[in-house]
Amino acid sequence: MTGLLLQQLVNTATIGAIYALIALGYTMVYGVLRLINFVHSELFMLGAYLCYGLLAVALGDVGAAPTLAITVAFFAVFAAVGMIGVTIERVAYKPLRSATRLAPMLSALGLSLFFQSAVQILAGPQPIRFPSIFPTTRVEVAGAVITTTQLGIIALAVLLMLLLAAFVARTRLGVLVRAVSESPRTSALLGIDVDRAISLIFFIGPGLGGLGGILYGSYYGIMYPTMGTIVGLKAFTAAILGGIGSIPGAMLGGFLLGLLEVAGTALLPVLSGGLLGTDYRDIFAFIVLVVVLIFRPTGLLGEQISEETMVYKRDY
Amino acid sequence: MSFVFSHVTKRFGSVVAIDDVSMRFEPGLIYAMIGPNGAGKSTLVNMAAGSYSVTAGSILLDDQPLQHLKKHQIAQAGVARTYQNIRLFDQMTVLDNLEVALAAADLRHTWREVLAPGYARQAATRRRQVCLQYLREFDLDDAADAHAELLPYGRQRMLEIARALVAGPRVLLLDEPAAGLNSAETESLKHRLLRLRRPDRVMIVIEHDMELVMSLSDRIYVLHHGALLFGGTPHEVQANRDVQEAYLGTDDDLDAIHELARNRRAGRRLRDETGAVRHPA
Amino acid sequence: MASVSLAPGRARAGLRLMRLLPVAVVLVLIALLPQAGLYYVRLADDVLIYILLGMGLNLVIGYAGLLDLGFVAFYAVGAYTYALLASPQFGIHWPFLVILPIGAALAACFGILLGIPVLPLRGDYLAIVTLGFGEIIRILLNNMNSVTGGPQGVMMIDTPKIAGLALVSPRGFYWLLLGLCVVIGVLVLRLERSILGKAWAAIREDQDAARGIGIDTVRVKLAAFAISAAIGGLAGVIFASFQRYVSPESFTFNESILIVLIIVIGGVGNILGVITGAVALIVLPEVLRGVAQYRMMAFGFTLAALIVLRPQGLVPRSFGPARLMRWLFAA
Repeated sequence: MTGLLLQQLVNTATIGAIYALIALGYTMVYGVLRLINFVHSELFMLGAYLCYGLLAVALGDVGAAPTLAITVAFFAVFAAVGMIGVTIERVAYKPLRSATRLAPMLSALGLSLFFQSAVQILAGPQPIRFPSIFPTTRVEVAGAVITTTQLGIIALAVLLMLLLAAFVARTRLGVLVRAVSESPRTSALLGIDVDRAISLIFFIGPGLGGLGGILYGSYYGIMYPTMGTIVGLKAFTAAILGGIGSIPGAMLGGFLLGLLEVAGTALLPVLSGGLLGTDYRDIFAFIVLVVVLIFRPTGLLGEQISEETMVYKRDY
Repeated sequence: MSFVFSHVTKRFGSVVAIDDVSMRFEPGLIYAMIGPNGAGKSTLVNMAAGSYSVTAGSILLDDQPLQHLKKHQIAQAGVARTYQNIRLFDQMTVLDNLEVALAAADLRHTWREVLAPGYARQAATRRRQVCLQYLREFDLDDAADAHAELLPYGRQRMLEIARALVAGPRVLLLDEPAAGLNSAETESLKHRLLRLRRPDRVMIVIEHDMELVMSLSDRIYVLHHGALLFGGTPHEVQANRDVQEAYLGTDDDLDAIHELARNRRAGRRLRDETGAVRHPA
Repeated sequence: MASVSLAPGRARAGLRLMRLLPVAVVLVLIALLPQAGLYYVRLADDVLIYILLGMGLNLVIGYAGLLDLGFVAFYAVGAYTYALLASPQFGIHWPFLVILPIGAALAACFGILLGIPVLPLRGDYLAIVTLGFGEIIRILLNNMNSVTGGPQGVMMIDTPKIAGLALVSPRGFYWLLLGLCVVIGVLVLRLERSILGKAWAAIREDQDAARGIGIDTVRVKLAAFAISAAIGGLAGVIFASFQRYVSPESFTFNESILIVLIIVIGGVGNILGVITGAVALIVLPEVLRGVAQYRMMAFGFTLAALIVLRPQGLVPRSFGPARLMRWLFAA
């Protein structure tokens, strides 16, 4: 019994860690611009493809990549996807800061489509085998079969999140990010370079999302051009669940959603008497999303939106 | 007919914005709500109109409680308002701004309008006539087909008031209608408002322009720090000691101000017991 | 446009002729199209279906100002309604004209069902939730094998019969779609000009002030949702009867995006924009055959670029059919 439980726990932690990493990108952008970065899901996908592409170009054979190469690729992907994020903000969001809220969404939609199609043309629409960046050994612990990939993912994701938390809490740039997230207008009045903070956020958030793509590929063993849509939706749900705009919220939401998903897929066939299979796993996250948005849109750790700020002119 | 705030309290988190305020408004009179900034005037109007929830107490229109109703239901019950920062439908025509206020509460006839062109023409003509009437009253009929955003500021204010009136409200809440108007426009506004008094209509105006308030209103409620300080005729309000203190400070405050002024003229800096320079409070 | 003062009556008549001539030419082309090769008729059918879909979604995005990214769900409901009621799947073979309103009504019900929990949400949340809804419908269709045929879909769907006449060739569908587009177009235009249309415009402008004058915004938005869904369902029924085969693959998120693209690129809130967008996005890739696979990439880029540089699209909202009429027939 403990074996099964442990197994599910590790599964949960793994997928939860990935969701949390991607959710951070959504939440950081939302925190400062009150905007859902639709393109984020494609940046997640780009992370996986860029990693694969870099290793393929540098080494020829992606399968047996040495640790040094992988580490370099890791940093390179973080930087590359981060730069793409910064560029996207400059080109597609910044000009629309004074437009209706629909505008950046449509702009993001267009870019999403662009990236997805571009990857599809360059690399083909079929799923590509993605070798795990961690050594793949299986470990038997108390009756549960755990792979080192899973452990690696969890460890790496947690490390990254701790680094982010330390950055935001301790460094000067981190304080900048927090100030601007709290109130861009006040920050600007205090002489803070708001645009620089926003660029930083659009570097880190998407960067982490790209790394999430590498981890996702490692865990599931494949990557495909449309993987961003569903995973992005789930990560967004995680961010909302934890409280959009809150960094600890995104981390909490990620793991929570992982838990709900694993528990849900395990229980769904049982609850419905075999009628609904595990294919309905994806619907689970969506149901969570709708329920949270309707009953507690601020999520678990999100800011309490006061009534005063709720009386707005343009809904969209 | 009456409009009553009964022991209304409003809290934003731990901040008490409105503290047990009770006021009664009778139709046929113009009431002004005055008080320093932050006294709670706009908060009260927002609660009456349904933008804010009421923490405790009730708001009653002819004994019908409004505090739990949604904003559009309150509007349909007969409470109309204007905004401190004008909120018109900018890209709609002046006429459409009124038409939508006149007819949008009841959209059941839309299907007949869509499927029967004859009925649609009739309905549209009827609406247009009623709205043009209001536009004429406010000297806006020449701009009927212009986009609302193109009107000069003063006329936009008039349009907003016209829009509030077109559905025949029982309670009219005007939030700083004279803000941004020059003295000629303010005078014109005053006369218009006086003409709007009706035995079946309550009129409440929030204003800072004291001249306008004193010459326009029949009754004044004075608010201070979220509580009702005083209520009475303009004459009574002007004579009231509490009101004077709230606006101008007490006699002790006055003495302190005089002393500081004397000292500054003498070029002296005041020091307290420890020898540190005392800055004016 | 400056008018030279010749004998004014004759000049005016000459100008009017100049403007009406291209319109007459277009009308003649439309009437003669079925005489062209089957390829062109098929293409026209495609354009017309997307015009229909575009008019439906435009109600929600352009008039009510809500970003519905899952519109394809209503399209699917209509299509599968016809597929299940007129095929060997369940052995039911109801007539086309009976299923048409049923498909629209069922889609409208789904619209209301989706709308009620979702409309109080803020614009960006609404977009994501509608996106998810569209995906949910596709997943459900893909998995409920016993009902919907799963990934294989439903085949051998009946040919529609109208007044005893079987509609088999694309030419027949051309006239059906054309007629439907005109009817729905007129209805939508009248809706826009009705008091409901003005309520939508008010909500688009300032939702809070709209509530302040007594508009029940949730109900008004729900009406937009339901009507747009009904139009989508209508298009779905016709699509199923035309293709005689439906599968979840026709109702992906990309399809929703394509319809959004048609509206936004063509011109939001404007039927002329929808027509322009449909022609541009359906015909152009066909014409530029060689680069067809870059289609989606180009669309995505165009959308982003347009939003930043020319958000009103190709045909701005202010240049609607009414203005076109005035321009054509005014002196």
